[in-house]
Amino acid sequence: MIRLEDITVKFDEFTALKGISVHVREGEFFTFLGPSGCGKTTTLRTIAGFIQPVSGSVFVKDKDITHVPIEDRNIGIVFQSYALFPTMTVRDNIAFGLKVKKLNKPEIESKVAEIARKVDLSPEQLGKAVSQLSGGQQQRVAIARALVTEPAIICMDEPLSNLDAKLRVQLRNELKSMQKNFGITTIYVTHDQEEALTLSDRIAVFNKGEIEQTGTPNEVYNHSRTEFVCNFIGDINKLSEESISLLNGRGAALDIKMSHYIRLERVPVNAPYTEGALEVKGSVLSREYYGMYIKYTIQTAPQVIRSIVRNDGVSIFEPGTEVIVSLHPGNIMSYPHREVAPA
Amino acid sequence: MKNAAKWLKPEQLLKLFGFGLFIYIFLGFMILPSVNTLTQIFSTKTAAGAADPWAVIRFFFAGTMGNYVLNSLKLAVGLVVTVNIVGVSIVLLTEYFDIKGARILRMGYMTTLIYSGVALVTGYLFLYDNNGILTTAMVNAFPGMDKNWFSGFNAVMFTMTFACTSNHMLFLRNAIRGIDYNTVEAARNLGAKPLKVLWKVVFPTLAPTMFSLTIMTFITGLCAMSAPVLLGFDSINPEIVRLAGSSMADESFPQARAALLSIILALFTIVLLAILSAYERKGHYLSVSKTKTKLVKQKISNPVANTLAHIYAYLLFIIYMTPVVMILIFSFQTYGAIRMKTLDLGNWTFLNFFGKEDYSYLTSRGTYRVREGAVSGVFSNADTLGGIRTSFILSAVAAAIACVIVVIAVNYIFKHKKKGAFLEYALLFPWLLPTILICYSYRTYFNSNDIWYVGNMNLYYAQNVRLLIIIAYTVVKLPFSLRMIKAAFYTIDDELEDAARNLGASGLTTMLKIKLPIILPSVLAVFALNFNALFTEYDMSATFASSYGTSYAMVMQSMTREEGLYGYNVNASGRRAASTVFIMLVSGLILYLVYGLGARDLGERLEARERRRKRWIKLRTSLQHKSKPAEISS
Repeated sequence: MIRLEDITVKFDEFTALKGISVHVREGEFFTFLGPSGCGKTTTLRTIAGFIQPVSGSVFVKDKDITHVPIEDRNIGIVFQSYALFPTMTVRDNIAFGLKVKKLNKPEIESKVAEIARKVDLSPEQLGKAVSQLSGGQQQRVAIARALVTEPAIICMDEPLSNLDAKLRVQLRNELKSMQKNFGITTIYVTHDQEEALTLSDRIAVFNKGEIEQTGTPNEVYNHSRTEFVCNFIGDINKLSEESISLLNGRGAALDIKMSHYIRLERVPVNAPYTEGALEVKGSVLSREYYGMYIKYTIQTAPQVIRSIVRNDGVSIFEPGTEVIVSLHPGNIMSYPHREVAPA
Repeated sequence: MKNAAKWLKPEQLLKLFGFGLFIYIFLGFMILPSVNTLTQIFSTKTAAGAADPWAVIRFFFAGTMGNYVLNSLKLAVGLVVTVNIVGVSIVLLTEYFDIKGARILRMGYMTTLIYSGVALVTGYLFLYDNNGILTTAMVNAFPGMDKNWFSGFNAVMFTMTFACTSNHMLFLRNAIRGIDYNTVEAARNLGAKPLKVLWKVVFPTLAPTMFSLTIMTFITGLCAMSAPVLLGFDSINPEIVRLAGSSMADESFPQARAALLSIILALFTIVLLAILSAYERKGHYLSVSKTKTKLVKQKISNPVANTLAHIYAYLLFIIYMTPVVMILIFSFQTYGAIRMKTLDLGNWTFLNFFGKEDYSYLTSRGTYRVREGAVSGVFSNADTLGGIRTSFILSAVAAAIACVIVVIAVNYIFKHKKKGAFLEYALLFPWLLPTILICYSYRTYFNSNDIWYVGNMNLYYAQNVRLLIIIAYTVVKLPFSLRMIKAAFYTIDDELEDAARNLGASGLTTMLKIKLPIILPSVLAVFALNFNALFTEYDMSATFASSYGTSYAMVMQSMTREEGLYGYNVNASGRRAASTVFIMLVSGLILYLVYGLGARDLGERLEARERRRKRWIKLRTSLQHKSKPAEISS
């Protein structure tokens, strides 16, 4: 559906995108994930036509659109700020693209009414100013405005970042079901790993203008291809040299020239022994209570280890409690040394 | 070929035309006339006709010319002190301290927004000159008092102190309302006393605004015109105007002297604005708070201080309001009452507004004579109506042109950061030139048939002068319009433009349908402020001093002059009072339309419409209920 081939984008001397290539399939919910300044929004804006690459091509349905003007690309965008026109009513906002295309009035009215129904906006809300709507309603208007012109692709640039945590989770689910209902190819930009993992069919993880890994949420989480991806997605323990020596002593055969990581949920506390695991004694330093689970910081002899344990309501360890943590070589992800993303 | 086709596109041709027009205005109406004025200084000749380039400089140091500069500096320095004291006081009293009746007080302090310039000065004269109502009352109360106290420097200082606080009420008020109240609470929580909080927490955040206001007040004092002219004080600007109208037959090289004074004024302005700009570049104290809390007014806990603050607040209120109220009342009084400056409560009239009869007066021979046009009201007197019409048209046209130029320019500046910078500096250029210098330069430079780029037409001749005034008005208002409209453009989210383009809109459609509606309230506000200032301006039209460009303020000034002449335009005082009321009405209405109605966003407008609709339904329902029994009974 969308193919980026060797795209390079420069802003004066700064290279924002360094020859990236990616393929988004038809009907897919595809997420560009990465920290601020990694190039994900630049890639999105290149696809939409706001930025011209210095080299490389953008294909949509095998048609090269690299130099096609923005307005002729048939790509809808939901902006981070929603970019709703403040001087227009909800109806006029949604109808704007149709008016620019010079559709006749009855056609515009029917299309606006139809899309409003689909995104759950009432006829009464259509007559309101956008400033009179809540954050969630504004998001629906932005989606409706982007979809009403029936684009082939919809791009969303961190559309949930301005909302509070509860609404973000609620709208995330709505967004996903809306995308499935419309069946439209969606490119979604976010720096929120949880959002990316829950929403996406596939994810491209960006770092410093390059794509580090493309894959399903499970692939990027459990089989992170690079040290950066492993660090960026989810919480993780980096094993110290002492831990590596102890594990190697138990036959793990970890290369000491590499960096080794283990995810927090793969570090059981006071769990029955598993074959091949290294068990180390430790003392609970602190406890973070999240309701469904509990995060412990434990001081062991080789290093401080963090662990996430499901809250069963029975085994809750207070700071100072002596516990045993298990490190299983099968759960360890190893990478050549490289600069890692900030925590 | 492809390039030629690209340049023949309407959008490119429009851009090319815009650039050409802009360069034409910049070089033709900003640079060349000013350079001509500068060269005038050094083009003096001896009596024998030989060139003597330094004559006017020698004259300056040898004669009394320096006194005008010193007087202006004295006025500027004095005003910086007094205007800041009064300006800060009125803002603190209405916005920071809990003073009873703050709303009423604020309205009084803000009257200078609709009552300024010649109208204000003549109003003060009416009250405070040697036979003014208040002076008479004060002399009666304090027999030892000098009844001529309101003249010269004292009068100018007094008048301008209260006339020049509009900027404080606009900008310092905004700055104080922008203070995060949490910072005040934090300081109190840390043990600071209220005055300490004011001094250490509040004032530092106001410092940038205060600095700008101080510089602007200094420049206002330096360039003062109407007050010194009407109240008799020898400062630079009135002298420039006098010299501009003088000839070599009357005195030594008057034009070169006027040019020198203009350039001195420009140099002061340049230095002051450079200081202001350097200070602004140092950065401001910005609130780092993400959750600003609205300022809560501070109660003055000491009862004595509280009483004194209230007395001070209401004393200032009386000073601000008395001229307004008196002018309003006297505008409905008969000629006799106005002439004698005594209120005749049993005799009210609309004569000063709509009177059509000519005044008959008693001559020294004991006969009555009719002075044609003498008693006519504002809306009947040909001269006054002419002044209103001229000022209205010239101001409206210039204010609109300035807005159009600036909106197009700022749109370009935002799109082309590097090339736009030149455009921006060029539009700010007139700020470096005092208005009098611009007008004086136009008057001398375009008073010729040799200026090729205006079609060898003498723009200072006959009706052409109106075009010259429009250009001068426009040029003078460009820097202010630029700063205000640029600030409005900053409020446009870049993503809005992207969204419009993404939805298929062209650059022009995006500008007209998305950006313009967003900035329109600000553009209208700038138009209104420019119009208000130009509609009542005196300095510029007086510098042009042309009978074809007699502004409303010049007509009012001439009324004041005529009042002193026995048997001349005997109803001038009444007509002037009515004129002032008319100006207040026009200015007030424009400010209300722009700030009151125009400042509402779409949501507020829709809510207001909904409220109106509900009220209308309620009214209709209640009327229907009332009419039903009648129907039954019939």
